[in-house]
Amino acid sequence: MTSLVSARGVSKRFGDVHAVDNVSFEIQNGKIMGLIGPNGAGKTTLLKAVLGLTDCDGELNVLGLDPFKQRKQLMQNISFIADVAVLPRWIRVTQLLDFMQATHPNFSRKRADELLARTKVRPDAKVRELSKGMVTQLHLSIITAIDARLLVLDEPTLGLDIIFRKEFYGNLLNDYFDGERTILITTHQVEEVENLLTDIMFINDGRIILDRSMDSLTEAYAELIASGENADKARRLNPIHERDVFGKKVMTFEGISRDQLDGLGEVHTPSVADLFVAKIKGAAT
Amino acid sequence: MIPHQLALVRREIWEHRSLYITPAVVGLIMVLTLLTAFVFASGYQEIVDIGIVGAQSLASEAHRRAALLGVLLGNTAPFLVASGILTVFYCLDCLYAERKNKSILFWRSLPITDAETVISKFLTAALAIPLIAFAVVVVTHILILLLTGIFISIEGGSSMLLVWQSAPLFDAWTGMLIIMILLPIWFSPFIGWLLFVSAWTKRSPLLMAFLPLILVPTLEYWLFRTHLIGDAIQSRFTQLPIFKNIDVRTLFDEEKFIANVDAVSLIGYIDIGAFLSSPQMWVGIVVCGLFMTGAIYVRRYRDDS
Repeated sequence: MTSLVSARGVSKRFGDVHAVDNVSFEIQNGKIMGLIGPNGAGKTTLLKAVLGLTDCDGELNVLGLDPFKQRKQLMQNISFIADVAVLPRWIRVTQLLDFMQATHPNFSRKRADELLARTKVRPDAKVRELSKGMVTQLHLSIITAIDARLLVLDEPTLGLDIIFRKEFYGNLLNDYFDGERTILITTHQVEEVENLLTDIMFINDGRIILDRSMDSLTEAYAELIASGENADKARRLNPIHERDVFGKKVMTFEGISRDQLDGLGEVHTPSVADLFVAKIKGAAT
Repeated sequence: MIPHQLALVRREIWEHRSLYITPAVVGLIMVLTLLTAFVFASGYQEIVDIGIVGAQSLASEAHRRAALLGVLLGNTAPFLVASGILTVFYCLDCLYAERKNKSILFWRSLPITDAETVISKFLTAALAIPLIAFAVVVVTHILILLLTGIFISIEGGSSMLLVWQSAPLFDAWTGMLIIMILLPIWFSPFIGWLLFVSAWTKRSPLLMAFLPLILVPTLEYWLFRTHLIGDAIQSRFTQLPIFKNIDVRTLFDEEKFIANVDAVSLIGYIDIGAFLSSPQMWVGIVVCGLFMTGAIYVRRYRDDS
Protein backbone atom coordinates (compact mmCIF):
# COMPACT_ATOMS: atom_id res chain seq x y z
CA MET A 1 0.00 0.00 0.00
CA THR A 2 1.31 3.44 -0.87
CA SER A 3 1.27 6.59 1.16
CA LEU A 4 -0.76 9.36 -0.37
CA VAL A 5 0.22 11.87 2.26
CA SER A 6 3.34 11.60 4.31
CA ALA A 7 4.44 14.12 6.92
CA ARG A 8 7.69 14.03 8.85
CA GLY A 9 8.39 16.61 11.51
CA VAL A 10 5.98 19.14 10.04
CA SER A 11 5.73 22.40 11.99
CA LYS A 12 4.10 25.73 11.40
CA ARG A 13 4.62 28.72 13.65
CA PHE A 14 2.80 32.00 13.84
CA GLY A 15 5.16 34.16 15.87
CA ASP A 16 5.60 32.32 19.15
CA VAL A 17 2.59 30.08 18.65
CA HIS A 18 3.19 26.57 17.38
CA ALA A 19 0.02 25.96 15.38
CA VAL A 20 1.43 22.64 14.20
CA ASP A 21 4.27 21.22 16.27
CA ASN A 22 6.57 18.56 14.84
CA VAL A 23 3.83 16.35 13.42
CA SER A 24 4.44 13.07 11.60
CA PHE A 25 1.84 10.81 10.00
CA GLU A 26 0.98 8.86 6.88
CA ILE A 27 -2.29 8.53 5.03
CA GLN A 28 -2.58 5.41 2.89
CA ASN A 29 -4.36 5.18 -0.42
CA GLY A 30 -8.07 4.29 -0.16
CA LYS A 31 -8.52 5.38 3.44
CA ILE A 32 -11.04 7.71 4.99
CA MET A 33 -9.07 9.54 7.62
CA GLY A 34 -10.77 11.67 10.27
CA LEU A 35 -8.73 14.47 11.79
CA ILE A 36 -10.36 15.42 15.07
CA GLY A 37 -9.36 18.21 17.40
CA PRO A 38 -10.72 21.09 19.46
CA ASN A 39 -10.84 24.63 18.10
CA GLY A 40 -7.40 26.10 17.65
CA ALA A 41 -5.72 22.69 17.77
CA GLY A 42 -4.05 23.24 14.41
CA LYS A 43 -6.42 21.20 12.23
CA THR A 44 -7.04 23.87 9.66
CA THR A 45 -3.37 24.88 9.54
CA LEU A 46 -2.39 21.27 8.94
CA LEU A 47 -4.99 20.90 6.18
CA LYS A 48 -3.80 24.13 4.58
CA ALA A 49 -0.24 22.82 4.58
CA VAL A 50 -1.45 19.58 2.93
CA LEU A 51 -3.29 21.65 0.32
CA GLY A 52 -0.30 23.85 -0.39
CA LEU A 53 -2.13 26.95 0.80
CA THR A 54 0.49 27.68 3.41
CA ASP A 55 4.17 26.86 3.69
CA CYS A 56 5.56 24.89 6.63
CA ASP A 57 8.76 23.49 8.06
CA GLY A 58 9.62 19.81 7.93
CA GLU A 59 9.00 17.25 5.24
CA LEU A 60 5.54 17.13 3.72
CA ASN A 61 4.76 15.07 0.69
CA VAL A 62 1.34 14.81 -0.92
CA LEU A 63 0.88 12.56 -3.98
CA GLY A 64 4.64 12.68 -4.37
CA LEU A 65 4.61 16.47 -4.64
CA ASP A 66 5.69 19.37 -2.47
CA PRO A 67 2.28 20.91 -1.87
CA PHE A 68 3.39 24.52 -1.51
CA LYS A 69 5.80 24.59 -4.44
CA GLN A 70 3.79 22.40 -6.81
CA ARG A 71 0.29 23.58 -5.92
CA LYS A 72 -0.97 23.65 -9.50
CA GLN A 73 -0.07 20.02 -10.28
CA LEU A 74 -1.33 19.00 -6.85
CA MET A 75 -4.72 20.66 -7.33
CA GLN A 76 -5.32 18.62 -10.46
CA ASN A 77 -5.54 15.57 -8.20
CA ILE A 78 -6.93 17.02 -4.99
CA SER A 79 -10.36 18.42 -4.31
CA PHE A 80 -11.23 20.50 -1.35
CA ILE A 81 -14.42 21.57 0.40
CA ALA A 82 -14.13 23.87 3.39
CA ASP A 83 -16.58 25.89 5.35
CA VAL A 84 -14.36 28.87 4.59
CA ALA A 85 -13.90 28.15 0.87
CA VAL A 86 -17.18 29.61 -0.23
CA LEU A 87 -18.49 29.35 -3.76
CA PRO A 88 -18.67 32.87 -5.22
CA ARG A 89 -22.19 34.19 -4.71
CA TRP A 90 -22.41 36.06 -8.00
CA ILE A 91 -21.78 33.07 -10.25
CA ARG A 92 -24.44 31.07 -12.09
CA VAL A 93 -24.43 27.27 -11.84
CA THR A 94 -23.86 26.91 -15.59
CA GLN A 95 -21.05 29.47 -15.49
CA LEU A 96 -19.39 27.57 -12.67
CA LEU A 97 -19.61 24.32 -14.65
CA ASP A 98 -18.29 26.03 -17.81
CA PHE A 99 -15.41 27.45 -15.82
CA MET A 100 -14.53 24.11 -14.23
CA GLN A 101 -14.65 22.43 -17.63
CA ALA A 102 -12.31 25.03 -19.10
CA THR A 103 -9.77 25.03 -16.29
CA HIS A 104 -9.77 21.61 -14.62
CA PRO A 105 -8.25 18.78 -16.67
CA ASN A 106 -9.89 16.07 -14.52
CA PHE A 107 -13.39 17.53 -14.40
CA SER A 108 -16.25 15.62 -16.05
CA ARG A 109 -19.05 17.94 -17.12
CA LYS A 110 -21.29 14.99 -17.90
CA ARG A 111 -20.92 13.57 -14.42
CA ALA A 112 -21.56 16.96 -12.80
CA ASP A 113 -24.72 17.44 -14.86
CA GLU A 114 -25.96 13.97 -13.85
CA LEU A 115 -25.28 14.60 -10.18
CA LEU A 116 -26.93 18.03 -10.23
CA ALA A 117 -29.98 16.66 -12.03
CA ARG A 118 -30.71 14.66 -8.87
CA THR A 119 -30.81 17.80 -6.74
CA LYS A 120 -33.10 20.81 -6.72
CA VAL A 121 -30.30 23.09 -7.90
CA ARG A 122 -31.46 24.77 -11.13
CA PRO A 123 -28.70 25.22 -13.74
CA ASP A 124 -29.62 28.87 -14.39
CA ALA A 125 -29.70 29.84 -10.70
CA LYS A 126 -27.09 32.07 -9.16
CA VAL A 127 -25.29 30.76 -6.10
CA ARG A 128 -26.71 33.63 -4.02
CA GLU A 129 -30.23 32.41 -4.78
CA LEU A 130 -29.53 28.94 -3.36
CA SER A 131 -29.94 27.86 0.26
CA LYS A 132 -26.83 26.89 2.20
CA GLY A 133 -27.73 23.23 1.85
CA MET A 134 -28.12 23.54 -1.91
CA VAL A 135 -24.79 25.36 -2.21
CA THR A 136 -23.14 22.44 -0.42
CA GLN A 137 -24.92 20.00 -2.76
CA LEU A 138 -23.60 21.98 -5.69
CA HIS A 139 -20.10 22.04 -4.29
CA LEU A 140 -20.12 18.31 -3.57
CA SER A 141 -21.46 17.56 -7.07
CA ILE A 142 -18.62 19.56 -8.62
CA ILE A 143 -16.02 17.92 -6.42
CA THR A 144 -17.44 14.44 -7.08
CA ALA A 145 -17.21 15.10 -10.83
CA ILE A 146 -13.47 15.71 -10.48
CA ASP A 147 -11.46 12.56 -10.86
CA ALA A 148 -9.27 13.39 -7.89
CA ARG A 149 -7.20 11.05 -5.79
CA LEU A 150 -7.54 12.92 -2.50
CA LEU A 151 -10.54 14.80 -1.19
CA VAL A 152 -10.02 17.14 1.75
CA LEU A 153 -13.10 18.17 3.73
CA ASP A 154 -12.84 20.86 6.40
CA GLU A 155 -16.08 21.19 8.39
CA PRO A 156 -18.04 20.49 5.19
CA THR A 157 -21.46 20.36 6.82
CA LEU A 158 -21.20 23.31 9.19
CA GLY A 159 -24.48 25.17 9.40
CA LEU A 160 -26.49 22.56 7.52
CA ASP A 161 -29.63 20.93 8.87
CA ILE A 162 -29.67 17.25 9.75
CA ILE A 163 -31.27 16.13 6.48
CA PHE A 164 -28.65 17.80 4.32
CA ARG A 165 -25.89 16.51 6.57
CA LYS A 166 -27.07 12.89 6.30
CA GLU A 167 -27.51 13.26 2.56
CA PHE A 168 -24.05 14.82 2.21
CA TYR A 169 -22.29 11.86 3.77
CA GLY A 170 -24.56 9.43 1.96
CA ASN A 171 -23.66 10.97 -1.38
CA LEU A 172 -20.03 11.14 -0.40
CA LEU A 173 -19.90 7.38 0.17
CA ASN A 174 -22.11 6.38 -2.74
CA ASP A 175 -20.93 8.74 -5.46
CA TYR A 176 -17.44 9.76 -4.52
CA PHE A 177 -15.76 7.05 -2.56
CA ASP A 178 -14.86 3.96 -4.53
CA GLY A 179 -12.10 2.42 -2.44
CA GLU A 180 -9.46 3.93 -4.72
CA ARG A 181 -9.94 7.48 -3.64
CA THR A 182 -8.83 8.85 -0.32
CA ILE A 183 -10.63 11.26 1.97
CA LEU A 184 -9.23 13.43 4.75
CA ILE A 185 -11.95 14.99 6.84
CA THR A 186 -12.18 17.26 9.86
CA THR A 187 -15.39 18.01 11.66
CA HIS A 188 -16.79 18.79 15.08
CA GLN A 189 -19.78 16.59 14.42
CA VAL A 190 -17.81 13.43 15.12
CA GLU A 191 -20.88 11.18 15.56
CA GLU A 192 -21.86 11.74 11.96
CA VAL A 193 -18.59 10.61 10.44
CA GLU A 194 -17.69 7.94 12.97
CA ASN A 195 -19.20 5.11 10.93
CA LEU A 196 -17.56 6.04 7.68
CA LEU A 197 -14.00 6.55 8.88
CA THR A 198 -11.39 3.85 8.39
CA ASP A 199 -8.69 5.72 10.30
CA ILE A 200 -8.57 8.42 12.90
CA MET A 201 -6.15 11.04 14.18
CA PHE A 202 -6.58 13.28 17.21
CA ILE A 203 -4.76 16.58 17.28
CA ASN A 204 -4.38 18.85 20.28
CA ASP A 205 -2.14 21.89 20.78
CA GLY A 206 -0.51 21.24 17.42
CA ARG A 207 0.47 17.65 18.32
CA ILE A 208 -1.00 14.35 17.22
CA ILE A 209 -2.12 12.45 20.29
CA LEU A 210 -3.74 9.48 18.57
CA ASP A 211 -3.26 7.96 15.14
CA ARG A 212 -4.67 4.52 14.38
CA SER A 213 -7.23 2.55 12.39
CA MET A 214 -10.82 2.48 13.57
CA ASP A 215 -10.69 -1.33 13.77
CA SER A 216 -7.84 -1.20 16.24
CA LEU A 217 -9.70 1.14 18.60
CA THR A 218 -11.58 -1.84 20.02
CA GLU A 219 -8.34 -3.57 20.99
CA ALA A 220 -6.75 -0.52 22.50
CA TYR A 221 -9.58 1.23 24.26
CA ALA A 222 -12.41 0.12 26.46
CA GLU A 223 -15.10 1.95 28.30
CA LEU A 224 -16.46 0.59 31.55
CA ILE A 225 -19.67 1.56 33.27
CA ALA A 226 -19.40 0.64 36.91
CA SER A 227 -20.61 1.73 40.30
CA GLY A 228 -19.72 1.41 43.99
CA GLU A 229 -17.00 -1.04 44.89
CA ASN A 230 -16.44 -2.12 41.31
CA ALA A 231 -15.71 1.46 40.39
CA ASP A 232 -13.04 1.65 43.06
CA LYS A 233 -11.47 -1.58 41.81
CA ALA A 234 -11.52 -0.33 38.25
CA ARG A 235 -9.95 2.96 39.27
CA ARG A 236 -6.86 1.06 40.37
CA LEU A 237 -6.36 0.02 36.73
CA ASN A 238 -5.62 3.70 35.92
CA PRO A 239 -8.38 4.82 33.59
CA ILE A 240 -7.32 7.72 31.40
CA HIS A 241 -10.63 9.44 32.05
CA GLU A 242 -13.59 9.16 34.36
CA ARG A 243 -16.99 10.80 34.31
CA ASP A 244 -20.35 10.52 36.04
CA VAL A 245 -23.45 9.40 34.21
CA PHE A 246 -26.66 8.99 36.23
CA GLY A 247 -24.75 8.19 39.42
CA LYS A 248 -22.55 5.61 37.71
CA LYS A 249 -18.92 6.00 36.81
CA VAL A 250 -17.90 5.79 33.17
CA MET A 251 -14.17 5.10 32.82
CA THR A 252 -12.07 4.97 29.71
CA PHE A 253 -9.08 2.62 29.64
CA GLU A 254 -6.13 2.52 27.33
CA GLY A 255 -4.14 -0.68 26.83
CA ILE A 256 -6.11 -2.65 29.39
CA SER A 257 -7.42 -5.99 28.16
CA ARG A 258 -11.13 -6.61 28.46
CA ASP A 259 -10.51 -9.70 30.59
CA GLN A 260 -9.24 -7.47 33.36
CA LEU A 261 -12.44 -5.42 33.27
CA ASP A 262 -14.74 -8.43 33.15
CA GLY A 263 -17.08 -8.59 36.07
CA LEU A 264 -16.58 -4.95 37.01
CA GLY A 265 -19.47 -3.71 34.93
CA GLU A 266 -20.62 -3.12 31.42
CA VAL A 267 -17.69 -2.99 28.94
CA HIS A 268 -17.79 -1.67 25.41
CA THR A 269 -15.75 0.30 22.90
CA PRO A 270 -15.94 4.03 23.55
CA SER A 271 -17.47 6.27 20.89
CA VAL A 272 -15.01 8.48 19.09
CA ALA A 273 -16.50 11.54 20.76
CA ASP A 274 -16.08 10.05 24.25
CA LEU A 275 -12.61 8.79 23.47
CA PHE A 276 -11.70 12.23 22.16
CA VAL A 277 -12.86 13.90 25.38
CA ALA A 278 -11.03 11.26 27.43
CA LYS A 279 -7.78 11.75 25.55
CA ILE A 280 -7.92 15.56 25.65
CA LYS A 281 -9.03 15.78 29.29
CA GLY A 282 -6.76 12.89 30.26
CA ALA A 283 -3.79 14.64 28.74
CA ALA A 284 -4.68 17.81 30.65
CA THR A 285 -4.82 16.21 34.13
CA MET B 1 -2.05 28.79 -21.07
CA ILE B 2 -4.13 30.75 -23.61
CA PRO B 3 -7.39 28.75 -23.25
CA HIS B 4 -6.89 29.03 -19.50
CA GLN B 5 -6.55 32.79 -19.76
CA LEU B 6 -9.65 33.04 -21.94
CA ALA B 7 -11.67 31.15 -19.32
CA LEU B 8 -10.26 33.34 -16.55
CA VAL B 9 -10.96 36.60 -18.38
CA ARG B 10 -14.46 35.36 -19.21
CA ARG B 11 -14.98 34.74 -15.50
CA GLU B 12 -13.95 38.34 -14.78
CA ILE B 13 -16.56 39.61 -17.24
CA TRP B 14 -19.22 37.39 -15.60
CA GLU B 15 -18.34 38.76 -12.21
CA HIS B 16 -17.92 42.40 -13.18
CA ARG B 17 -20.96 43.03 -15.34
CA SER B 18 -20.16 46.75 -15.19
CA LEU B 19 -17.43 46.05 -17.75
CA TYR B 20 -20.06 45.92 -20.48
CA ILE B 21 -23.00 47.64 -18.81
CA THR B 22 -21.08 50.91 -18.31
CA PRO B 23 -20.10 51.44 -21.98
CA ALA B 24 -23.58 50.30 -23.05
CA VAL B 25 -25.16 52.96 -20.80
CA VAL B 26 -22.78 55.63 -22.13
CA GLY B 27 -23.72 54.67 -25.71
CA LEU B 28 -27.42 54.67 -24.90
CA ILE B 29 -27.22 58.14 -23.31
CA MET B 30 -25.44 59.47 -26.39
CA VAL B 31 -27.98 58.04 -28.81
CA LEU B 32 -30.88 59.38 -26.71
CA THR B 33 -29.23 62.81 -26.48
CA LEU B 34 -28.90 62.90 -30.24
CA LEU B 35 -32.55 61.94 -30.68
CA THR B 36 -33.60 64.74 -28.33
CA ALA B 37 -31.39 67.16 -30.25
CA PHE B 38 -33.08 66.20 -33.53
CA VAL B 39 -36.51 66.76 -32.03
CA PHE B 40 -35.41 70.23 -30.90
CA ALA B 41 -33.68 70.96 -34.20
CA SER B 42 -36.79 70.20 -36.20
CA GLY B 43 -38.32 73.27 -34.54
CA TYR B 44 -35.76 75.46 -36.33
CA GLN B 45 -36.56 74.46 -39.90
CA GLU B 46 -34.72 77.33 -41.62
CA ILE B 47 -31.43 76.77 -39.88
CA VAL B 48 -31.61 73.04 -40.56
CA ASP B 49 -32.34 73.68 -44.24
CA ILE B 50 -29.49 76.15 -44.56
CA GLY B 51 -27.17 73.70 -42.84
CA ILE B 52 -28.08 70.85 -45.17
CA VAL B 53 -27.91 73.00 -48.32
CA GLY B 54 -24.58 74.42 -47.15
CA ALA B 55 -23.10 71.04 -46.39
CA GLN B 56 -24.28 69.62 -49.72
CA SER B 57 -23.27 72.45 -52.03
CA LEU B 58 -20.54 74.48 -50.39
CA ALA B 59 -18.42 72.08 -48.40
CA SER B 60 -16.05 69.74 -50.18
CA GLU B 61 -15.80 66.00 -49.60
CA ALA B 62 -12.66 66.62 -47.55
CA HIS B 63 -14.45 69.13 -45.32
CA ARG B 64 -17.27 66.72 -44.69
CA ARG B 65 -14.79 63.97 -43.91
CA ALA B 66 -12.94 66.16 -41.42
CA ALA B 67 -16.17 67.33 -39.82
CA LEU B 68 -17.50 63.78 -39.47
CA LEU B 69 -14.18 62.56 -38.09
CA GLY B 70 -14.53 65.28 -35.45
CA VAL B 71 -18.05 64.07 -34.67
CA LEU B 72 -16.94 60.43 -34.40
CA LEU B 73 -13.97 61.27 -32.17
CA GLY B 74 -16.07 63.58 -30.01
CA ASN B 75 -18.49 60.70 -29.53
CA THR B 76 -15.66 58.39 -28.51
CA ALA B 77 -14.25 60.65 -25.80
CA PRO B 78 -16.93 59.81 -23.17
CA PHE B 79 -16.13 56.12 -23.67
CA LEU B 80 -12.45 56.74 -23.01
CA VAL B 81 -13.26 58.60 -19.80
CA ALA B 82 -15.73 55.90 -18.71
CA SER B 83 -13.20 53.13 -19.50
CA GLY B 84 -10.56 54.91 -17.44
CA ILE B 85 -12.81 55.16 -14.39
CA LEU B 86 -14.03 51.60 -14.92
CA THR B 87 -10.44 50.31 -15.05
CA VAL B 88 -9.60 51.97 -11.71
CA PHE B 89 -12.61 50.47 -9.96
CA TYR B 90 -12.23 47.06 -11.59
CA CYS B 91 -8.53 46.77 -10.66
CA LEU B 92 -9.18 47.80 -7.07
CA ASP B 93 -12.01 45.31 -6.70
CA CYS B 94 -10.73 42.23 -8.51
CA LEU B 95 -8.27 40.91 -5.91
CA TYR B 96 -9.98 42.53 -2.92
CA ALA B 97 -13.54 41.24 -3.31
CA GLU B 98 -12.44 37.59 -3.56
CA ARG B 99 -10.87 37.93 -0.11
CA LYS B 100 -13.81 39.84 1.36
CA ASN B 101 -16.40 37.33 0.14
CA LYS B 102 -14.11 34.40 1.01
CA SER B 103 -14.31 32.85 -2.45
CA ILE B 104 -10.51 33.05 -2.74
CA LEU B 105 -10.07 29.62 -1.13
CA PHE B 106 -12.45 28.10 -3.64
CA TRP B 107 -10.54 29.64 -6.56
CA ARG B 108 -7.29 28.52 -4.99
CA SER B 109 -8.63 24.95 -4.66
CA LEU B 110 -8.50 24.72 -8.46
CA PRO B 111 -5.39 23.95 -10.51
CA ILE B 112 -4.69 27.57 -11.38
CA THR B 113 -1.58 29.38 -10.19
CA ASP B 114 -1.67 32.76 -8.50
CA ALA B 115 0.40 34.15 -11.37
CA GLU B 116 -2.19 32.99 -13.92
CA THR B 117 -4.95 34.59 -11.87
CA VAL B 118 -3.20 37.97 -11.50
CA ILE B 119 -2.25 37.97 -15.19
CA SER B 120 -5.89 37.34 -16.11
CA LYS B 121 -6.92 40.38 -14.05
CA PHE B 122 -4.32 42.47 -15.88
CA LEU B 123 -5.52 41.21 -19.27
CA THR B 124 -9.09 42.04 -18.32
CA ALA B 125 -8.10 45.60 -17.42
CA ALA B 126 -5.69 46.20 -20.29
CA LEU B 127 -7.39 44.28 -23.08
CA ALA B 128 -10.97 43.22 -22.30
CA ILE B 129 -12.14 46.63 -21.05
CA PRO B 130 -10.86 48.52 -24.15
CA LEU B 131 -12.07 45.85 -26.60
CA ILE B 132 -15.56 45.79 -25.09
CA ALA B 133 -15.64 49.60 -25.10
CA PHE B 134 -14.45 49.63 -28.71
CA ALA B 135 -17.23 47.26 -29.79
CA VAL B 136 -19.80 49.52 -28.12
CA VAL B 137 -18.19 52.59 -29.74
CA VAL B 138 -18.62 51.03 -33.19
CA VAL B 139 -22.28 50.17 -32.51
CA THR B 140 -22.91 53.67 -31.13
CA HIS B 141 -21.28 55.28 -34.17
CA ILE B 142 -23.44 53.22 -36.52
CA LEU B 143 -26.59 54.16 -34.59
CA ILE B 144 -25.63 57.84 -34.53
CA LEU B 145 -24.94 57.88 -38.27
CA LEU B 146 -28.17 55.97 -38.99
CA LEU B 147 -30.23 58.45 -36.96
CA THR B 148 -28.45 61.39 -38.56
CA GLY B 149 -29.06 59.89 -42.00
CA ILE B 150 -32.76 59.43 -41.28
CA PHE B 151 -33.02 62.98 -39.92
CA ILE B 152 -31.31 64.42 -43.02
CA SER B 153 -33.54 62.38 -45.33
CA ILE B 154 -36.67 63.62 -43.52
CA GLU B 155 -35.43 67.18 -43.85
CA GLY B 156 -34.95 66.69 -47.58
CA GLY B 157 -31.18 66.26 -47.71
CA SER B 158 -29.12 63.40 -49.12
CA SER B 159 -28.00 61.07 -46.35
CA MET B 160 -25.93 59.16 -48.88
CA LEU B 161 -23.88 62.23 -49.72
CA LEU B 162 -23.71 63.79 -46.26
CA VAL B 163 -23.27 60.70 -44.10
CA TRP B 164 -22.40 57.44 -45.74
CA GLN B 165 -20.03 58.63 -48.47
CA SER B 166 -18.30 61.09 -46.19
CA ALA B 167 -17.92 59.29 -42.88
CA PRO B 168 -14.27 58.17 -42.50
CA LEU B 169 -15.29 55.00 -40.68
CA PHE B 170 -12.20 52.93 -41.44
CA ASP B 171 -9.86 55.74 -40.41
CA ALA B 172 -11.81 56.60 -37.25
CA TRP B 173 -12.30 53.02 -36.09
CA THR B 174 -8.80 51.74 -36.87
CA GLY B 175 -7.30 54.82 -35.23
CA MET B 176 -9.55 54.51 -32.17
CA LEU B 177 -8.78 50.82 -31.80
CA ILE B 178 -5.03 51.49 -31.86
CA ILE B 179 -5.37 54.30 -29.31
CA MET B 180 -7.62 52.25 -27.03
CA ILE B 181 -5.11 49.39 -27.03
CA LEU B 182 -2.05 51.63 -26.53
CA LEU B 183 -3.54 53.73 -23.72
CA PRO B 184 -3.69 50.91 -21.11
CA ILE B 185 -0.13 49.91 -22.00
CA TRP B 186 1.00 53.48 -21.42
CA PHE B 187 -0.89 53.62 -18.13
CA SER B 188 0.11 50.05 -17.14
CA PRO B 189 2.19 51.15 -14.10
CA PHE B 190 -1.06 52.45 -12.60
CA ILE B 191 -2.86 49.22 -13.47
CA GLY B 192 -0.05 47.26 -11.77
CA TRP B 193 -0.18 49.53 -8.73
CA LEU B 194 -3.97 49.22 -8.41
CA LEU B 195 -3.78 45.42 -8.70
CA PHE B 196 -1.13 45.35 -6.02
CA VAL B 197 -3.23 47.51 -3.67
CA SER B 198 -6.24 45.32 -4.39
CA ALA B 199 -4.31 42.18 -3.42
CA TRP B 200 -2.62 43.76 -0.43
CA THR B 201 -4.94 46.12 1.42
CA LYS B 202 -7.16 44.93 4.23
CA ARG B 203 -9.59 47.85 3.88
CA SER B 204 -10.55 50.91 1.78
CA PRO B 205 -8.70 50.04 -1.44
CA LEU B 206 -9.60 53.37 -3.08
CA LEU B 207 -8.02 55.39 -0.27
CA MET B 208 -5.03 53.06 -0.05
CA ALA B 209 -4.45 53.44 -3.79
CA PHE B 210 -4.65 57.22 -4.05
CA LEU B 211 -3.22 58.40 -0.75
CA PRO B 212 0.34 57.17 -1.53
CA LEU B 213 0.18 58.90 -4.93
CA ILE B 214 -0.06 62.19 -3.02
CA LEU B 215 1.89 61.33 0.13
CA VAL B 216 4.96 59.72 -1.43
CA PRO B 217 5.85 62.69 -3.70
CA THR B 218 5.21 65.07 -0.78
CA LEU B 219 7.47 63.01 1.46
CA GLU B 220 10.13 62.87 -1.22
CA TYR B 221 10.14 66.64 -1.56
CA TRP B 222 10.19 67.09 2.20
CA LEU B 223 13.12 64.72 2.67
CA PHE B 224 15.23 65.24 -0.43
CA ARG B 225 13.85 68.43 -2.00
CA THR B 226 13.35 66.50 -5.26
CA HIS B 227 10.25 65.80 -7.38
CA LEU B 228 11.29 62.60 -9.17
CA ILE B 229 8.28 60.50 -8.27
CA GLY B 230 5.81 63.35 -8.62
CA ASP B 231 7.21 64.19 -12.03
CA ALA B 232 7.10 60.55 -13.12
CA ILE B 233 3.42 60.33 -12.15
CA GLN B 234 2.57 63.66 -13.74
CA SER B 235 4.41 62.97 -16.99
CA ARG B 236 2.24 59.88 -17.54
CA PHE B 237 -0.64 62.26 -18.07
CA THR B 238 1.13 65.05 -19.94
CA GLN B 239 3.55 63.26 -22.27
CA LEU B 240 1.56 60.64 -24.10
CA PRO B 241 3.86 59.39 -26.91
CA ILE B 242 1.06 58.10 -29.12
CA PHE B 243 0.58 61.06 -31.46
CA LYS B 244 2.91 62.60 -33.97
CA ASN B 245 4.42 65.89 -33.06
CA ILE B 246 1.57 68.03 -34.37
CA ASP B 247 1.13 71.60 -33.38
CA VAL B 248 -2.24 71.29 -31.67
CA ARG B 249 -3.09 74.89 -32.56
CA THR B 250 -3.43 73.96 -36.25
CA LEU B 251 -6.41 71.83 -35.33
CA PHE B 252 -8.24 74.75 -33.78
CA ASP B 253 -7.07 77.54 -36.12
CA GLU B 254 -9.73 77.62 -38.81
CA GLU B 255 -7.53 78.89 -41.64
CA LYS B 256 -4.68 76.48 -41.02
CA PHE B 257 -7.14 73.65 -40.54
CA ILE B 258 -8.88 74.33 -43.83
CA ALA B 259 -5.54 74.59 -45.60
CA ASN B 260 -4.65 71.09 -44.38
CA VAL B 261 -8.11 69.59 -44.55
CA ASP B 262 -7.18 66.95 -47.13
CA ALA B 263 -4.61 65.51 -44.75
CA VAL B 264 -6.98 65.14 -41.80
CA SER B 265 -6.76 61.51 -40.66
CA LEU B 266 -6.71 59.93 -37.23
CA ILE B 267 -4.36 57.14 -38.31
CA GLY B 268 -2.15 59.84 -39.78
CA TYR B 269 -1.82 61.46 -36.35
CA ILE B 270 -0.79 58.23 -34.61
CA ASP B 271 2.87 57.36 -34.33
CA ILE B 272 3.29 53.74 -33.23
CA GLY B 273 7.04 53.91 -33.81
CA ALA B 274 7.39 56.75 -31.33
CA PHE B 275 5.30 54.78 -28.83
CA LEU B 276 7.36 51.60 -29.15
CA SER B 277 10.65 53.48 -28.95
CA SER B 278 9.62 55.52 -25.92
CA PRO B 279 11.85 54.56 -22.99
CA GLN B 280 9.14 55.83 -20.63
CA MET B 281 6.70 53.30 -22.06
CA TRP B 282 9.13 50.44 -21.41
CA VAL B 283 9.98 51.70 -17.94
CA GLY B 284 6.24 51.77 -17.28
CA ILE B 285 5.89 48.13 -18.32
CA VAL B 286 8.72 47.14 -15.98
CA VAL B 287 7.11 49.05 -13.09
CA CYS B 288 3.81 47.33 -13.86
CA GLY B 289 5.58 43.97 -13.84
CA LEU B 290 7.11 44.69 -10.44
CA PHE B 291 3.77 45.64 -8.90
CA MET B 292 2.13 42.56 -10.43
CA THR B 293 4.87 40.36 -9.00
CA GLY B 294 4.08 41.94 -5.64
CA ALA B 295 0.38 41.16 -6.10
CA ILE B 296 1.15 37.52 -6.99
CA TYR B 297 3.46 37.21 -3.99
CA VAL B 298 0.89 38.63 -1.58
CA ARG B 299 -1.89 36.39 -2.92
CA ARG B 300 0.35 33.35 -2.63
CA TYR B 301 1.99 33.91 0.72
CA ARG B 302 -0.45 35.84 2.83
CA ASP B 303 -2.75 33.63 4.80
CA ASP B 304 -5.55 35.71 6.22
CA SER B 305 -8.47 33.38 5.75
